[in-house]
Amino acid sequence: MGEFSIGRKIASFGGMVAGLILLITGLGMAIGKTGNPFRGTAMIVGAVLFFIGLYLFPTLKHHRMIVNILFLFPLLFAFAVTVIIPLVLGIGYSFTNWDGIRVRGFVGLDNYTRMFKQPGFIWSILITFLFVVFNIILVNLVAFLLALLCTSKLKGLGFFRAAYFLPNLIGGIVLGYIWQFIFSNVITKFTTALFDQRYSMLSETKTAFVGIVIVYIWQYAGYIMLIYITGLNTIPGDVLEASSIDGASATQTLFSIKIPMIAPTITICTFLTLTSAFKQFDVNLALTNGTGSVADFMGNYLTNGTEMLALNIYTTAVINNEYALGEAKAVLFFIILAVVSIVQVRISNKREVEL
Amino acid sequence: MKKKLLSFLLTGAMLASLTACGGTAAAPAPASSEDAAAEAADSSDAGEAADAAETTDEGGEASEAAGSGAEVRLLNGKPEIDAQMQELAKLYNEETGNTLIVETIGGDTNAADELKKMYQADNMPDIFVIEANQADTWDGMLADLAGEAWTDKTGFELVNAKMGTIGFPYTVEATALGYNADVLKAAGVDPASLTSPAAYAEAFKTLDDKKAELGITAVLGWCAEPANLGWSSGTHVFGQYLDAGLKADDTKYIDLLNDGGKVDEARMKSFAEFIGMMNQYSDPDLLVDGTYDEQVAGFKDGKYAFITQGNWCVTSPDDVSFECGFAPYAFEDGIDTIIAGPPSYWVAYSDGNVDGAKEFFNWCAGDSAQDILVNKAGLVSPFDDCKYEAVNPFYKSMKSYIDAGKYSGWHTMLKKDGLQNVTCQVFADYAQGKLDADGFAKTMAQVIQGYYAN
Repeated sequence: MGEFSIGRKIASFGGMVAGLILLITGLGMAIGKTGNPFRGTAMIVGAVLFFIGLYLFPTLKHHRMIVNILFLFPLLFAFAVTVIIPLVLGIGYSFTNWDGIRVRGFVGLDNYTRMFKQPGFIWSILITFLFVVFNIILVNLVAFLLALLCTSKLKGLGFFRAAYFLPNLIGGIVLGYIWQFIFSNVITKFTTALFDQRYSMLSETKTAFVGIVIVYIWQYAGYIMLIYITGLNTIPGDVLEASSIDGASATQTLFSIKIPMIAPTITICTFLTLTSAFKQFDVNLALTNGTGSVADFMGNYLTNGTEMLALNIYTTAVINNEYALGEAKAVLFFIILAVVSIVQVRISNKREVEL
Repeated sequence: MKKKLLSFLLTGAMLASLTACGGTAAAPAPASSEDAAAEAADSSDAGEAADAAETTDEGGEASEAAGSGAEVRLLNGKPEIDAQMQELAKLYNEETGNTLIVETIGGDTNAADELKKMYQADNMPDIFVIEANQADTWDGMLADLAGEAWTDKTGFELVNAKMGTIGFPYTVEATALGYNADVLKAAGVDPASLTSPAAYAEAFKTLDDKKAELGITAVLGWCAEPANLGWSSGTHVFGQYLDAGLKADDTKYIDLLNDGGKVDEARMKSFAEFIGMMNQYSDPDLLVDGTYDEQVAGFKDGKYAFITQGNWCVTSPDDVSFECGFAPYAFEDGIDTIIAGPPSYWVAYSDGNVDGAKEFFNWCAGDSAQDILVNKAGLVSPFDDCKYEAVNPFYKSMKSYIDAGKYSGWHTMLKKDGLQNVTCQVFADYAQGKLDADGFAKTMAQVIQGYYAN
C-alpha cells in the first residue's frame, strides 16, 4: 500500500466517514420529522462525500470493481426502490390486516386461507386460465395468417401492416370503451333487426367473455404479426426458390418449409401472448368491469362472471377496501406468473440449443 | 484521452442526476436543489440542467406551502363544482384573510383511494371528503367538531359513536323516482297519490297506454346496466330497500344487513315485485345496456315520465323545460318518503390544521359562502338559516318532503364496501329476465350473505 500518499488515504477514509455521518443524521432528521431545513442537504452532501471517498479508496486491486459498483449504483438503487422493497413490503402486508392506512395487527395466514374460501376468486383463477388458453391459440393463429398476408405480394402492404398494428397503439382502457359502444350500441342494432336479440353480448357472461377475447385479439394480433413478419423474412430466399423449382405447392411450402423455419419465432410469440394474457386488466376493466352472473358455481350465485385475476385483485383492494387480502391475492398472482416465466425461459433456452 | 474525457463527463452527468433526484426527495430544502442545479449546469448536459432547474421550482413551491400556518387544504370530491370551489376559496381569502387551497379529485378516481396514498406520503389535506362508512377507516384521526356554531343550524352533521361530531354536511342530495310533472299532469296522474304499489301499477299502465299521445318513449328511464351504472342500482336503488318509508334516523334494515348480511324476506319480496314492475315499463333499450348519459338525456328530452336518479341528474333549470318532482319508491302500502341527506361529508384531519378547518366550516355555513354553493354550484343547503332557494329543478319537491319530515336517511352508504358490485348484477339479471321476483329476492339474500361471509 506504499504507493498511496497519506493525503489520499485521509481523503478517502475521512470522506467516507464524514459522508456516512451526514447521511445518517440527515435520514434521522427526516424520519424524526424534525422539519430541519438542512436535512436534505445533509443527506445529499453525505452521499456525495461517501462516494468520493469510495472512489479514492487506496487500492489498486479492487479499484475497477469499485468503479463498476459506482456506475451500477443508480440502477440498482432505482431497482431496489421500485421493485425489491415494494415486493418485500407487499409480502409482509399480506400477513396483516392492513387497510391501506394502518396495520392493526398480524393475522398470519388468514388472508391466504380466506381467499380460497371465496368462490368468486376461484372462478377468477379459472377463467383467467381459460382466457390464456383461448388467447394463445387464437392470437397466434390470427397473427400468423395476417403475417402471411402481409408478406405476400399484395398491393398496399405498408398500409395493411400499419392498419393491423394500429390497435396496439391505443391504450386498453380506450379500446375497452370504444368496443363497449360497438357491442352495446352498434351490434345490438343488427341483432335486434335480425334475431330479435335486443340485449348486447356484454350482458351475458359467456358472450361477454367472447367479447373480451375478440377485443384482446384485435389489440394484440397486430403486434404479434410484426414478430411473425420478421420471422418469415429471415427464411432464406434460396430455400424457397429451390422448393418452388422442385414443384412444391403453396401449402407444402407453408407446412414443410415456412413453419419449421420460424419455430423459434413461434415459441417467442406463444410465451409473449401467454404472459400478457395472464396480466389482462385494462380491457377487462373498461369493457365489462368484471360483471356477469354465473347461476351456480360450487353452490353459489356468482356476480363476477368476467372478472379476471388482475381485476379481482384491484377490486378486492381498492373497491372493497381490503388491501391486505388484495396483497395476499397479488402474492399468489406473482407466484403463478413467476412459475410461468421460469418455465418459459427454460423451454425457450432448450429450443435454442436444439436449433 | 478522448475516452477519459468522455468518462469524466459521464460520471459528472451521473452525479448531477443523482443529486438532482435527491433534491426532489428533500423538497423542503431549496438550498440543496440549487446546488444540484449548479452541478448539473457544470456537467454541461443541458437536459440534466433543465431537470434540476425544474426540481428547484418544485422545492421552492413546496417550502412555500409548508411555510404559512393559517392555510387550510381541502380535498374536494366533486369535480363538477371545482370552479365554484376555487371561487369560494378566493372569497374566503378576501373576507377573512385566511387561505383555502382546494384540490379536486373525483370522476373515475376514487377519493378514498387517493387519500390513502396521501396519508402514506404524509401529505394529508386538513379537510377531506368521506362517505359515512369510511369513518371507521379513519378511526381516531378525525377531529371532533361538536359545539361549533354551525352544528346548531343543521340536523345533517355526521356523528360517529367513537369520534363525536366529525362530518360537515356541504350539500343535501335526494334520490327517489324523479318525475316529469308536465307529463304526469297531461296523463291525469296525481303524483301525490303514488304511495302504494297499486297506485303505481295504475299510473304506469295509464302512462304506458298514452305513450304516443304524451310523446314519451317509455314510462321509466331505469337502467340496470352493471359495469358502469352499478352504483345507481347497487347503491341508490338498493338503498330504497334499506330506507324507504323509514324515519331519517331509523336504522332497522341497515343494522339487519350489517349483522352478517341478513335481509328481511317480506320487505325484499315487495321490493322485488316493485322492481319487476319498473323493469316491465322501462325503456328496453336503456334497461340492460344503457348509460348514465343516455338515461339523463332521455329524461331531459321528456322521453321518460320517471327517472331512477337523484337531484344531481338535472342541476340547472335551463336543462329542462318542464317541472320536476320526486315520488317515493312505494313498494309497500303507505311508503311516502324520499331519501334525502348528505351523501358525503367534509371532515377535519386531527393532525392537520384543525382550528383553521373549524374556522372555515363556520364561515362556510354563513351567508356569503352559501351564496356561492347554492346559487353558483347548484347545491342544496343543509343549513336552516340559508336564505337562498336552490336553483335545482328538483328543489321544490325535495323541500316539501324535508319540511314535512317525510325523508329517510342515506343508510345505503353504511353498507359493507363493494356490496354494490354484487347486488347490481342481480338487478341486471332481473332486468334481463333471467330471474323472476322470487328468484330476485332469494338470489339477493344469497349473494349478500355470501358477500358478508367472505
